[in-house]
Amino acid sequence: MIEILLNFGLPILIMLIAFFVGSRIEKRHFEDIQNREEALHGFPAVSFEKLPADWKVGSVDLVSGSVVISLDYFKRIIAGLRGLIGGRIKTYEPLLERARREALLRMTESAKSQGFDAVVNVRLETSRLANSARNGKGTAGIEILAFGTALSLS
Amino acid sequence: MKFIPRKPREGINVSDVHPLAEAGALVAGLSIIFTVVAVALFYAVELALLSISVETEVQLFENWAPDDLLSVSADDERKTQAQEILRRLVAHWGDAPYQFRLEIVESDVPNAMAYPGGLIVVTTELLDGVASENELAFVLGHELGHFRNRDHLRMLGRVAVIGLVFVAATGTDGGAALGVRIADIAQRSFSRGQESAADEFGLQVVNAEYGHVDHSWNFFDRLNDGDLRSSKFIAYLSTHPSAADRSDRLKVLAHDQGWPLSGPTIQLNWINISSPADP
Repeated sequence: MIEILLNFGLPILIMLIAFFVGSRIEKRHFEDIQNREEALHGFPAVSFEKLPADWKVGSVDLVSGSVVISLDYFKRIIAGLRGLIGGRIKTYEPLLERARREALLRMTESAKSQGFDAVVNVRLETSRLANSARNGKGTAGIEILAFGTALSLS
Repeated sequence: MKFIPRKPREGINVSDVHPLAEAGALVAGLSIIFTVVAVALFYAVELALLSISVETEVQLFENWAPDDLLSVSADDERKTQAQEILRRLVAHWGDAPYQFRLEIVESDVPNAMAYPGGLIVVTTELLDGVASENELAFVLGHELGHFRNRDHLRMLGRVAVIGLVFVAATGTDGGAALGVRIADIAQRSFSRGQESAADEFGLQVVNAEYGHVDHSWNFFDRLNDGDLRSSKFIAYLSTHPSAADRSDRLKVLAHDQGWPLSGPTIQLNWINISSPADP
């Protein structure tokens, strides 16, 4: 009986705790992201490579922002179940959305604080951080790197 | 070119599904799939195993024994005597197709098990718990009944299937051992019919050997009444029919068949010897 409890009860308890704590953290992160996006509203961070002819560029520099976000246990288990039958891993979508927007925000904030007026040629990179579980095939978290060329316009 | 600042739009990259709803749908759906697969496998394996002829089974499992079978020493007095009792009982099963083997396993749970190929395993706790040869004979006769109805193959198949489903569901080796144990208990709980049929055969063999069925159910009565009441009792019940029901059904059966309910019982030599005889 105690074995059944340990084998099934404990993981379910951890899953529930992970769900409640994870949801709270995710909600607060989204709120924070929205506030900071509001503050940066109007600062161009765009993906084009060639500058419009009428832009007079003063100085340029590379700016980047990266973020590492971990899965919580709940998301991991649900994704594992999803992996049995396939389909959209809906619990991972907000995770990646948060990471992308956070990385872009950090990059943009870095450009703005250095006195630049815009970031062009913005690119996003994703990498998976392995952990030691399952012979290094486990996922500790993901990193999203946003980088681009910051410009000051004269 | 004109830059028009826009705020990021929400809800494009994130599905509007509550995570718990997603979890619920996945767990419920997968449980249904697993159950259907398990039930289908259950019957498929049972059909496949029962289509194996007794001769083939004996050939395949002639010298086979479970890996974790820790048998007592070969010259243990209890083993020699139990084998002798078994041999006499088998004589009443016309042309028994099996070459029965008997092994004793060290365990503090009173139990007896039937394995493919005619292997009967009894635990030391059972041998120390029975008070007479007649009590032991009925337990052995019950296991012979399982062989006659080929329940041991059904059990093997069911335990294998449930164990497999468990491993697939939990995805860990750790779940496997536990799964097999739960499977063992679960499958026995819906094999009441098999247990009754084995009891009937056991009683019939005992009557043929001793001319009466006295003491056949005394062991279960004691399990029920308290001599042996403990966690062992619970363990025994989890894999066998309730002792009280069982002893009642046996009495009714003996009465219906007109088998004498009382007669001389035979004492076992090793009773009152606290430890197995040392050479």
